[in-house]
Amino acid sequence: MNRQFYLDLAARGLCMPIGTDLVMHEEREPEMVRNDGVALGRVIERAARRWGTPLAVPLMDLRLEKIDLLALAGVAETEAERFHFTSPLDETVLATLLGAQAVPLCAGSTARDEALAYIDTLPDLVPVGMAIGPFSLTTRLLADPITLTAMAGSGVEAGDSDEVKLLWQCLRVSEAAVLRSLRSQILHGARAIMICEPTACSAFISPRQLKAGSNLFERLVMEPNLRLKAALEDAGCDLIFHDCGELIDPMVEAFANQLHPVILSLGSSRKLWEDARLVPEDVVLYGNLPTKSFYSDGAMPIEEVIRRRDELVANMKACGHPHIVGSECDVLFVPEAQETIRRKVDAMMAGSAAVAAGDLLARI
Amino acid sequence: MAQLNELYDAILNGNAKQAHAATEAALAAGTPPMELIADSMVPAMDEVGRLFEAEEYFVPELLLAGRAMKSAMELLRPLLVASGQRLAVRVVIGTVKGDLHDIGKNIVASMLEGSGFEVIDLGTDVSPENFVAAVVEREPHIVCMSALLTVTMPAMRTTIDALTNAGVRTNVKVLIGGAPVTSQYAREIGADGYSENASGAVSLVKTLLATA
Repeated sequence: MNRQFYLDLAARGLCMPIGTDLVMHEEREPEMVRNDGVALGRVIERAARRWGTPLAVPLMDLRLEKIDLLALAGVAETEAERFHFTSPLDETVLATLLGAQAVPLCAGSTARDEALAYIDTLPDLVPVGMAIGPFSLTTRLLADPITLTAMAGSGVEAGDSDEVKLLWQCLRVSEAAVLRSLRSQILHGARAIMICEPTACSAFISPRQLKAGSNLFERLVMEPNLRLKAALEDAGCDLIFHDCGELIDPMVEAFANQLHPVILSLGSSRKLWEDARLVPEDVVLYGNLPTKSFYSDGAMPIEEVIRRRDELVANMKACGHPHIVGSECDVLFVPEAQETIRRKVDAMMAGSAAVAAGDLLARI
Repeated sequence: MAQLNELYDAILNGNAKQAHAATEAALAAGTPPMELIADSMVPAMDEVGRLFEAEEYFVPELLLAGRAMKSAMELLRPLLVASGQRLAVRVVIGTVKGDLHDIGKNIVASMLEGSGFEVIDLGTDVSPENFVAAVVEREPHIVCMSALLTVTMPAMRTTIDALTNAGVRTNVKVLIGGAPVTSQYAREIGADGYSENASGAVSLVKTLLATA
C-alpha cells in the first residue's frame, strides 16, 4: 500500500462510519457471526459496500488480545474480561506471557483473521485489521490502572512499588500480545491495521504530570507503539491510529508526527480543523462526528448531526487538510435505539457518494 | 494542628504514605477521628474537586487524592465503628448489570468518601435485585449508578423500575453517570440527577440532600 492511496480517498470525498457492528446486528444471530470467519467476512464486506468505501473495517472488538494473552496463562475466555493482575508477575508467568505462544487464538480472533482472508479475495476491497494498543490493553489487565499510571507519573519506579512494577510488566506482555495479533492479521491478508489506544488520554495520563516533566506518555504509549509501527512497516502494512479519548495537543502531535500513520482517527472532543495544524499534510484525518451520542434524540437530535457534519466538512475544506468524514469511534448497536442510530448514520452519509477506488487499487 | 495541615497537604498532593503517617500522628496526639474527617479530609477533597473543575487537576490526581484519603480512612474507620459513630449520609454505588467498567464508578466513590459520606460500593455488573436489596438493608440516602456502555445503559431504567416496584424508590435519590449518559437520559428514565464527572457528582449529592 502507499500513503497516496489514502490521500486520494480523502480527495475523492470519502465518507464512512466504522459501522460493522451495526451491520452485524442486522443478522439473525449476531453473536454467532462474531465467531464465524466467513459470515463475519461477509458482514464486513456488506458494511463496506453499504457505505461505498474500499476500506473493509472489521469490528472494533478490543477484548480479543486480552483473551488471547490470558489464555497463555490458563485463564478461560469466559473469565478474561473480569480478570485483573493484582501482584507482580513471577518470572515463570512473565516468560509464559512473553514467550511460548503455542496456544491457539480465541474464536473471535480466529474469525477476525478468517474474515480478513475472505476480504483479501475481493479485488475491490482493502482488508483492514484491528487491534487494541499496548497501553490500552495494559489498562485492561489492571484493576486500578489510572492510579498506578499516576503513581508512575509522579516518579515512583518499579523498584519502589510492586504496583508500579506490575504496570510495567503488563505493558511488556501487552506489547507482545498486540504484536502477536498484528502478525496473525498480516498473515491473513491485512494491508492496513487500525491500532486503538482510547486510554492513551488525559483521563489516564495526567497533563499536569506531563507539564511537570514526566516522560510517562513516551514510555507508556509512544515507545511501544513506535515498535509496533516498525513491525507493520517491515511487513508492508499501513498503520491507522485511533484514539477517541480526551487528548491534549502534544498527544495529537506525537501521534501524527512520530507514529506518522496513514490515517489518524480522533474522538469528537477534538476540532479536526484546528488539529490540522498539528498534523503533517500526508496524514489523513478521520472522523469525528459524535456517534457515541447517536442513540439519544435528546442529546443528539438529527438536526444537530447534520449541523455538525456540515460544519466539519466546511471547516476541513477551508483548512485544506486531507480528511475522511466519519464516526468518532465504532458505531455500536444499542438495543432500543437501532432505528434512531441508523437514521443518524444515514444523515451523516447524506450527500456523499460511493468512492470507486478500483483505479487506485490497481496502481498499488 | 500541624498533623491536620499535614493530612490536608498529603491528600491534596495524593501522597498515601504521608496521609497514613499524618493520621497516625494525629490520633496519637489525641485528635478525634471526626475532627480529622471534618477539618482535614473533607476540605482537602473539596479543594481537589475545585482544582479539577479549574482544570488544574485531572482524573489521575483525583484518584491519587482518593487513595491518600482512603489510607487515612483505614485508620479511622475501626475507631468510628468502635465508638458507635457513623457518617451522616450513606451512598450506595455500583455499575449496572452487564457492565464491568468500574473506573468512573471508583472515582465517584472516592470523591464521595473523601467528602465525608459513607460509601457502600456494590462493585460492577450489579443486578437490579442487588441494588434493591442494598437499599432495603443499608437504608442509603443516595443510589449512584454508572454505565460506560450504551448497550448497558438500559439497565439503569430497569433498576429504577425495580426500586419503584419494591416500594423503595421514594426512600432514595437516584443519580446516574457514565460516558454515554446525559441529563436528558436521566430525565427520561426518572433519575433524580446526572453528573458528567466525579466532582460534579459530589456537588449534586450535596444539592439533593439540601433540598430533600
